[in-house]
Amino acid sequence: MTLIRPRWSSHLFLTVFSLIMIYPVIWWVGASLKPLDEMRLPAIWPSAPMWSNYSEGWNFSAQYSFTHFFANTLLMEIGNVFGGVVTAALVAYGFARVNFKLRGMWFAILLLTMMLPTQVTIIPQYILYNSIGLVDSYVPLVLPHFFGGGAFFVFLIVQFIRGIPRDLDEAATIDGSSVYGIFLRIVFPLIKPALVTVAIFTFVWSWDDFFAQILYLSSVEKFTVALALRMFIDQFEIQWGQLLAMSLLSVLPSVVLFFLAQKHFVEGIATTGLKG
Amino acid sequence: MKRKGLKGLMLLMIALMLTLSACGGGGKSGGDNSSSNSPAGSGSSASPSGNAEKTGEAKKLGIMWWGPDARHEATLKALEIYTKQHPSITFTPDYMAWDGYWQKLPALAASKTVPDVLQMDAAYIQDYAAKGVLEDLSDLDLSGIVDPSVLENLKIGGKLYGIPLSQNAQGIAFNKPALEAAGIKLPQKNWTWDDYFAFAREARAKLPKGKYGIGDSTNLWDWYNWYQTANGAKPLMSDNGKTFTLDKDLFMKYHTTFEQLRKEQAVPPADKSLSFVPNDPNADPMATGIVMTGGATTGSVAALYSMMPDQIDVVGVPTGVAGGGWAQSTIFLSVSANSENKEEAKAFLKWFITDPEAGQALKMTRGIPINPAIYKTLEPTMEPKDLLGKKVYDMALEKALPFYPIAQGFTEWVDTYKSTMEGVMFGKTSIEDAYEKLNELGQQIAAKNP
Amino acid sequence: MAYKERNLAGYLFISPWLLGFLLLTLWPIAQSFYLSFTDYSMLADPVWTGMDNYRKIFSGDDVFQKSLTVTFTFVLVSVPLKLFFSLMVAMLLAKNLRGMNFYRTMIYFPSLIGGSIAVSVLWRNMFGADGYINGILAWFGIEGTGWISNPDTSLGTLILLGTWQFGSTMVIFLAGLKQIPQELYEASAVDGAGRIRKFFHITLPMLSPVMFFNLVLGIINSFQMFTAAFIITKGGPVQSTYMYAMFLYEKAFKHFQMGYASALAWILLVIVAALTALNFLASRYWVFYETEGGRDR
Repeated sequence: MTLIRPRWSSHLFLTVFSLIMIYPVIWWVGASLKPLDEMRLPAIWPSAPMWSNYSEGWNFSAQYSFTHFFANTLLMEIGNVFGGVVTAALVAYGFARVNFKLRGMWFAILLLTMMLPTQVTIIPQYILYNSIGLVDSYVPLVLPHFFGGGAFFVFLIVQFIRGIPRDLDEAATIDGSSVYGIFLRIVFPLIKPALVTVAIFTFVWSWDDFFAQILYLSSVEKFTVALALRMFIDQFEIQWGQLLAMSLLSVLPSVVLFFLAQKHFVEGIATTGLKG
Repeated sequence: MKRKGLKGLMLLMIALMLTLSACGGGGKSGGDNSSSNSPAGSGSSASPSGNAEKTGEAKKLGIMWWGPDARHEATLKALEIYTKQHPSITFTPDYMAWDGYWQKLPALAASKTVPDVLQMDAAYIQDYAAKGVLEDLSDLDLSGIVDPSVLENLKIGGKLYGIPLSQNAQGIAFNKPALEAAGIKLPQKNWTWDDYFAFAREARAKLPKGKYGIGDSTNLWDWYNWYQTANGAKPLMSDNGKTFTLDKDLFMKYHTTFEQLRKEQAVPPADKSLSFVPNDPNADPMATGIVMTGGATTGSVAALYSMMPDQIDVVGVPTGVAGGGWAQSTIFLSVSANSENKEEAKAFLKWFITDPEAGQALKMTRGIPINPAIYKTLEPTMEPKDLLGKKVYDMALEKALPFYPIAQGFTEWVDTYKSTMEGVMFGKTSIEDAYEKLNELGQQIAAKNP
Repeated sequence: MAYKERNLAGYLFISPWLLGFLLLTLWPIAQSFYLSFTDYSMLADPVWTGMDNYRKIFSGDDVFQKSLTVTFTFVLVSVPLKLFFSLMVAMLLAKNLRGMNFYRTMIYFPSLIGGSIAVSVLWRNMFGADGYINGILAWFGIEGTGWISNPDTSLGTLILLGTWQFGSTMVIFLAGLKQIPQELYEASAVDGAGRIRKFFHITLPMLSPVMFFNLVLGIINSFQMFTAAFIITKGGPVQSTYMYAMFLYEKAFKHFQMGYASALAWILLVIVAALTALNFLASRYWVFYETEGGRDR
């Protein structure tokens, strides 16, 4: 009996809350279907939906359609997510569980790299990549993810690993596992929620990273979705309908990814049982 | 057990390495064909093809511009035509929209990889020229194509850093049907600043609450600069940024007038004024029907027209004893000072504004072509939005003063002007204090300029 | 494990990061430090000016003071607000309800449109002079203002926007909550603990490492808050949202004073590093690590 009422109220509350959160997005869907002269009207839905914002926006350039830009971006994302998840886990395990020389110093440096605004390192970094001939390629965008995926993720996983009971490691050590074995067979599976989190964030954040992408990608052939979207916004002329339509589509992959991935961090370790 | 773990880890590492090197390989092939300044040229001259004639030697020019998609398509077509006419020259085009362009260019300048040919805007050319990024083009013979006085006017410190591409001018757009419906006298050609303020008051009297004749331009430095120069004073920045003139009387008069207009509600309240976003159909002062007039240039009026088709008419900037507004090219093609193909780049520049075939391909995508011969051939094909742009130019021409760009080092002053005058609009700063602050900063920057 | 073997293992594990740091990150960082002692427009080569930039910043750059004040205000209000809000939502979304996947996605959605250009359009529609908020207020007979364009409220709307996009903090909490062994709750239920006691005796301590992470990163990121100010308010009006990172960006890319901007960046680094160090010191008193038992540092 007592179970039913909280469920009801939970559902009601969650529905209302979701609607409040999503309301601007609903407006966005409506606006993306409006012709230019209707956009200033308060009505949320256009008098006659202009689907051409989507079809023309998708094929806005004579050379490449958004199919091409989405493919480019997804390809880049595969590299980013794979590199980020695997290397961040490795590095984090090293910092969290292995007591090596100068660990504290390296960890402090890791954190410090997050505190310097990228605006001042991006130019020297560009010069560096340019000098080794890697400009106008995805390397400067993908490579950093293979080097620990960034301090944010390393620190995140470190915190998760530190939350895992030590007795598990000790039990495994007694069974004859090395640090490597413990990492692969015990810690790696246990931090799955954190890894899924890393995957989602890597995906979402590199999808949006306009500044780095505009610097490192020059040929339109290599353009990502974020760059293609900016093509709609020139100094005076802004293709509003197409811009709103395409930018709405551009968040969909992230939404789908989140929807599919969440069950992995929701399961957590609760079901696996703890006692080793 | 121990070994098993290590082995797995090794496998993982190897997988990582493989993916990495795959990425690297893919990227490199992309990097080579596009870095126009990489020593690829010297490499090929050392190879057996060294006997190639000098004139026929294959050259790849890097070229970069910003713009909307129509401009991209047209320019790519023009480049194709050029290569057809000059088979030895090919291009590496790099094009994007306005914001990205100015974010990317500093990185290219810092790494000395600015492409051979690049589009420039009057707002930025001063800084780029002063820092030596651009090549002097004075020796390019443009007689019969561009009026020599126009070129003289564009020179920075006696040198020409960009060839003008199109005619541009400043005007004021107004919502004709709305003004007529309210029975307000329409702005007339060569109207004065006094007419302008009187217009605002008449509109206040005849328009319903919440609608305004003019916008509040207190925080726009260029508007004040037009006012100061129209009244015969020197421009704010002159002498290549070495002289700064902020006329106290005119400054006080202009801003007191606006303060008065705010009190009379003849301009929108400050929080309303600052929530306008030009060219956003949701927040543009004119497209939302809140303000009846607004600044527009030959280049920008088409965007306004697309938001409110057939409602727009144009007039010049208000004038004073010395004239008013400006009519001049603000968009240029420049050559990089680091270019290894300067002669080829210059030849291309000249072709770009003279070749009839190029003119047909490029059409009006950079505004009204600077070259009268090209313009003539395009005139019959002009669309209403282009005609409106042309009208802005015609309205401005008679009384036009020179175009006063932001001089080198003065972007900081311009930003300070904006935030300080916003303080005045909200009543947080007095006009007198604002004057002192702006004058001091301006004098400081002018004194520092070489 | 032997000392040598441990060192080898440690360095092997962190080698991806270490390599990346030495090859890709170290040089740009060192370079920006060097540039902070120069006059560097990016368009021309840097000119050594010694301590000039720093001297100018500390002796009377009132924009520096202004933006630092704005940024501190932002951090002080937005970090706790966002932490509290996202923890509450995460607790709500951690429940096992039918359709929870759907709710989670809806609630996470706003965070996905973070830097998208669309967000500025959306936000103006909510908080503009003719926006929805004012429409709702009008029902109650209250006349609103242009919330974004009024210097007294603009920073508030940016804080609200940051809170609306609480998603990433919330997801980290959610992952942390799900990592808490269910047995602990079961055991305490047997002891007769209520909800509130469970929260304070199990949830909070078990979540403290993640909480600590969100706090530290919240501070670091808020100090560098840029995108929203850049695309929505441009730092205005009257510099009321002129965040430090925005100031730094404009100095570098608009005023072509990269040397000055680099000096600003290093000053920020010192401030944030000091606060982070304080956080780490304080964490000894409230963050609970399972590791502590086996203390091997």
